[in-house]
Amino acid sequence: MKIISKNDFNKFIDVLIEDEIYDIEGVKAKGNTFVFGPLDSSEELRLDYDTTILPPKKYFLPQYETLMKANIDSPFKLEENEQEKQKIIVGIHPYDLIAIQQMDAYYLDTDISQAYLQRRKNSILIGSDVLNVSERAFFGSMNTSFIEDGFDLYITDLGNRIAIDVGSKKGEELLKKASKVRDANAVDKQKVKAIQIAAQGKAKRGMKIDPKQCYSLLEQNYDSKVWDSQSEKCLACGTCTMVCPTCFCYDVVDEIDLKNQGKRVRTWDGCLLRQFTEVAGGEIFREDIKERYRHRFYRKGKYMPDRLGFVACVGCGRCSTQCIPDIADPVKVINLVFDESESILNEQKDRPVTMNVKVSEVDSDKAKSLHHTNPATIKRVESLTKTEKLFEISLDSNEKLGHNPGQFVEVSLMGIGEAPISISSPPGSQTFELVVRKIGEVTNKLHELKKGDKIGIRGPFGHGFDVEELKGRDLLFIAGGLGLPPLRSLINFIVDKKNRKDYGEVFILYGCKEPCELLFQSEVESWDDRSDIHHLRTVDKCPEGDCWDGQVGLITKLIPQLKFDTKNTICTIVGPPVMYPFCIQILEDLGVPDDHIIVSLERRMKCGVGKCGHCQINHLYVCKDGPVFNYKDIKDLPEAFA
Amino acid sequence: MKPKVAFFDFASCEGCQLQIANLEEQIIDVLDVVDIVAFREIMTDDSESYDIAFVEGSITRPIDEKRIKKIRKNAKILVALGACAHLGGVQKLGNQWTSKENLKHVYPQASSMVISDSNPFFEKPKQKALDEVVKVDFILPGCPIDKGEFVKLVSALLHGKKPSIPDYSVCVECKKAENECLFTIGKFCMGPLARAGCGAICPTYGNECEACRGYVSHPHENAHFAVLEKYGLDPDEILHRKTMFTYRYHEKKDQNKKEEAK
Repeated sequence: MKIISKNDFNKFIDVLIEDEIYDIEGVKAKGNTFVFGPLDSSEELRLDYDTTILPPKKYFLPQYETLMKANIDSPFKLEENEQEKQKIIVGIHPYDLIAIQQMDAYYLDTDISQAYLQRRKNSILIGSDVLNVSERAFFGSMNTSFIEDGFDLYITDLGNRIAIDVGSKKGEELLKKASKVRDANAVDKQKVKAIQIAAQGKAKRGMKIDPKQCYSLLEQNYDSKVWDSQSEKCLACGTCTMVCPTCFCYDVVDEIDLKNQGKRVRTWDGCLLRQFTEVAGGEIFREDIKERYRHRFYRKGKYMPDRLGFVACVGCGRCSTQCIPDIADPVKVINLVFDESESILNEQKDRPVTMNVKVSEVDSDKAKSLHHTNPATIKRVESLTKTEKLFEISLDSNEKLGHNPGQFVEVSLMGIGEAPISISSPPGSQTFELVVRKIGEVTNKLHELKKGDKIGIRGPFGHGFDVEELKGRDLLFIAGGLGLPPLRSLINFIVDKKNRKDYGEVFILYGCKEPCELLFQSEVESWDDRSDIHHLRTVDKCPEGDCWDGQVGLITKLIPQLKFDTKNTICTIVGPPVMYPFCIQILEDLGVPDDHIIVSLERRMKCGVGKCGHCQINHLYVCKDGPVFNYKDIKDLPEAFA
Repeated sequence: MKPKVAFFDFASCEGCQLQIANLEEQIIDVLDVVDIVAFREIMTDDSESYDIAFVEGSITRPIDEKRIKKIRKNAKILVALGACAHLGGVQKLGNQWTSKENLKHVYPQASSMVISDSNPFFEKPKQKALDEVVKVDFILPGCPIDKGEFVKLVSALLHGKKPSIPDYSVCVECKKAENECLFTIGKFCMGPLARAGCGAICPTYGNECEACRGYVSHPHENAHFAVLEKYGLDPDEILHRKTMFTYRYHEKKDQNKKEEAK
């Protein structure tokens, strides 16, 4: 530990402000509160702040960030983003430093965000001890009062002097710009310790359980009345998610200007907002405010521990301070749930804590622009129905897409947006096929495109069907409506003469609303002619005059008509959400074991790489863990088939 | 051929059109891509042949209804420009009283001959938003509209894209702008119910949001009511605060109440 006089510290800050290679940001006053912002002089720096309106996450995941810019006529000629200066951020409290470590774990996980990594590598973090504790802070209860690493320098304001801990080489180098730095003596160290202990003591607000028990509490109280009673008062304004240092979800929106300049912008999104889970068809998967309200607490207290091993709450108290109806406070809510429950709480089981990501050690070459889209060309367009078209696509790189059946891609139109579309052709060929229903902004535009037109392709994404695992098994496919295209990628692989011998009996059931909605008519009819495929098809209703040779009625009626080995057949269901519970019920009644049922689910897959948060089903990310799931793994998840 | 664009106004201050007239150099970009064929504030020409009609103002008189219906008939796309067209504007508040009461209150000294209902210029049975009279394709909300949003809307229409306005609360943008919440400094704000898209410009400058862009599609009114009460507003004052631009949302409830009382 080092010591510098207050005067010399201020000079040090002013030297940094003068230095043109840095942007220097620090805590300053704004009205009655505080914000992180550019410092004009060391006098502005307020190390006595309690907390800021927004956490420093805004420096690494800005409120608005242009991901790409290009003319829509040459969408792959991207304009370069401006290089950002090296940023020094002064005065970050330990709880916020821990939140940054959590954000590192999240964004530098398997899919490493290049933009995020650059900003992190390009920043120098100067931590600071808490001199004044915000009224609603509870970091003292969350074990986030102290931090041993995750900063470059760490300062404690001791009145007439500043204590400085060096946390990195970068910090050490920076400190060389300060003059008259001496080593700390025992008294200095004792004073620092006293400040830290005082802050920790003050920032305890009487949480009745240990944070390690939160997981267990939430696990047992999904249906607690507290979610109803509290969410009734919720404005659904999204404030709690905006101001949270561990809310990392974002939306991506496209803009287009009068001069054909397209822009793709990433901006903060929050799970409390109604349209957060909305898909192009209009379905909203967490429509009720109670579900959204509860999700926020579960994401922090259960889902993040499930995925990354840490409780995604650092006790800063921002949500609590800024929630006007005062229902966002984790301490109050946890206590309420605890009081209402009769749960016996366990300490959270040991989970792998992946918070030890060292930014300096993350290889920049492994990072990628997560939203970068690859140029591709439409080779063929075929109208399948009034609302569905088939697009055959090849990547301009001439590489194969390299997908597994059941995976999806993000189709991009610069200035319009991206849409997740499942791949409907089997793997292996030079081109791939997508069936696109005209239903939203992107798909409407796609329907206007012709052979030779360019689109962007990201992916393939997600966990598809495992064709190896299915080998030797009897297979039943149940496709409803637009569920056929993703399932077709698997069916066509399996019924391919090359592969057919590897699999047992094959049953295919296909249903749609009306004969005019039947997809891939000739292919479907060709199944009738094959002795090695048992196939039945149905329509919900057949308007008079329509030509139809299949059955009429719901697809569920077809299942009992089949003679299949219920104990040994793998049953794969893909269709609209409403279809799953009914089909699964029938299969279960027939004695099909849960782990023999495979489903593919739709949610709002915006980023495709498990970052934006829109497609979550409880702790799972459909874009990464799905869309294909084994029923046994998700049957107990309340959000899976709600 | 460039699409033809026309501007019209009804009961309003014409301030939204003024925003467009004030686009400065950007107006040139707009004129590069559309032909303006009618715009009373900036030109003398008029036309009945247009593709896109931007209409400012609320519909207050039967003669206006005739005129807007004709505009609707002529236009392929009709856009409601600003809070008066979108919500009925401040003038919507007049629906709490009869037309006679309003006229008497506003023109206390005028002769009853002049302001009688038989004078078509004063025949104002009801203040209506545009979509209460004709089909409205898109809304450009706000009092006044935001210039930038106007340009975005024109651009979207030209590219065959649905112009999108956010369906979340002003709080989202207010927090992104890192404003101190007005409630915490003793002010009352409609932000939690109000539709964003304005960049929370009023709270950013310390002014309370009055929801000039209308409500989000699913406003949590009861929760907001409780908050206002908690912060010390009595029910009358709440209604007063909440209806500057948003009487439209309360009109039905008021009418139902009145009918019940009868």
